[in-house]
Amino acid sequence: DRNAYVWNYQEQDGYWKPCLVLLRINRAATFVRWSPLEDRFAVGSGARLLSICYFDPEHNWWVSKHIKKPIRSTILCVDWHPSNHLVAIGSCDFKCRVFCSALKELGDKPQTSNWMPKLNKFGTLLAEFDTNNGWVHGVQFSPSGNQLAWVAHDSSVNVVNSANLTKVHTVLTSNLPYSCLLWMSESSFAAAGFNYCPDLYTVTADGVTFTAKMDVKKEKSGGGAAMSAMARFQKLDVQGQSETGGTTVDTTHENCITEIRALSRNPATGAVSKFSTSGKDGRLVIWNFDALSSSLGGLKI
Amino acid sequence: MSKNVNSTQFRTVDVDAYDEDNYEDDARETGDSGAAEVTERANQVRGLLNQLKTKEALKMALKNPPVGNKDASVKEQNYETVVSVLKSFKAADIDAAVADLDMVEIDILMKYLYKGFTCSPDKAASLLQWHEKVVAKGGLGSIVRVMVDRKGI
Repeated sequence: DRNAYVWNYQEQDGYWKPCLVLLRINRAATFVRWSPLEDRFAVGSGARLLSICYFDPEHNWWVSKHIKKPIRSTILCVDWHPSNHLVAIGSCDFKCRVFCSALKELGDKPQTSNWMPKLNKFGTLLAEFDTNNGWVHGVQFSPSGNQLAWVAHDSSVNVVNSANLTKVHTVLTSNLPYSCLLWMSESSFAAAGFNYCPDLYTVTADGVTFTAKMDVKKEKSGGGAAMSAMARFQKLDVQGQSETGGTTVDTTHENCITEIRALSRNPATGAVSKFSTSGKDGRLVIWNFDALSSSLGGLKI
Repeated sequence: MSKNVNSTQFRTVDVDAYDEDNYEDDARETGDSGAAEVTERANQVRGLLNQLKTKEALKMALKNPPVGNKDASVKEQNYETVVSVLKSFKAADIDAAVADLDMVEIDILMKYLYKGFTCSPDKAASLLQWHEKVVAKGGLGSIVRVMVDRKGI
């Protein structure tokens, strides 16, 4: 309905009270994310603009400010930089962009960094990356904010380091496209999507490499090849199939994975120790990354 | 009954042309081949094929396709070059040739295979042999990149 709502928990009454935020968009909102300091949030929409909303205590009202140029199509995903002042978006015009979202009204004092070599005002485009042909489904800054990774519909995975904004490391994968990604630590991230399985990628100074599929295939009970004669005849009679396999999927998710979020982090290193994925098959799966790394044979993150 | 019952002319109006917010691809200059380079390449490839250097011919034919070129005949010419190379391969050699290509060349080859399916469906059998081997190396991702490609090879 082209609006956003902020829900505040009422302590005395014990329920969540919604507060309307007028986004002033003329198409649907597609994505929303709170900033790291949780004083503002960003909403991406089909109206080709990004709304940054913050609370104005004078009027007791959430105000939205727009970033419009030069976004040319629906925004699919948004991510905040850990500094709270930069925001990255991926959109259907095949580009990934980084904008400055420092607000004077909230007393922001942004620092210059590799992303923003000189102080810019709200809404300035800091960087733009082209993915040739794919809608950008997922974008995320690394935990330190120095690297930016995005996954696109042309089955590619791209990473850029703010130290060298012209060099984008791309991996053209041989899988179906990914729709979401999550940085596990500064040097590795997991991507998941139409493959039904999260994959782990490692980032080094030379580039990005595929490390492992994180869904260890289950051993089917009874085995694939050792089907009894009776079962075989039954299958032929009922389903018309003479061989095993074909209709079952051997990954945990049975349909596209749409979202991957960190669940808990290792307190010492800040790396993700558990994460969850949810998909179009209606499943919410929690993965224990620490256990997986040991079973997949010494994966280092 | 409403007035405008007989004429369905309005259904042929291109609504997108009137939409001022309509997305248009950037018409950027890219470093792709022009007509001269394509002809030059066709000659080189023919030379290599005469010397029976099929693997080198394939690599040469797949280099720098005229993607951004607005002239359809240039694209047609490059397509003919590629098809002539593919035809010259024996079934047993396809494996070795595909193993030699890197991911970018695999993507380009896949685009030409799909173009072949549409343009010359009678040759589909031999193209399908190539398709099977290319998918073994490039995977479903290379097919996705063919579908997603906007400029057309």
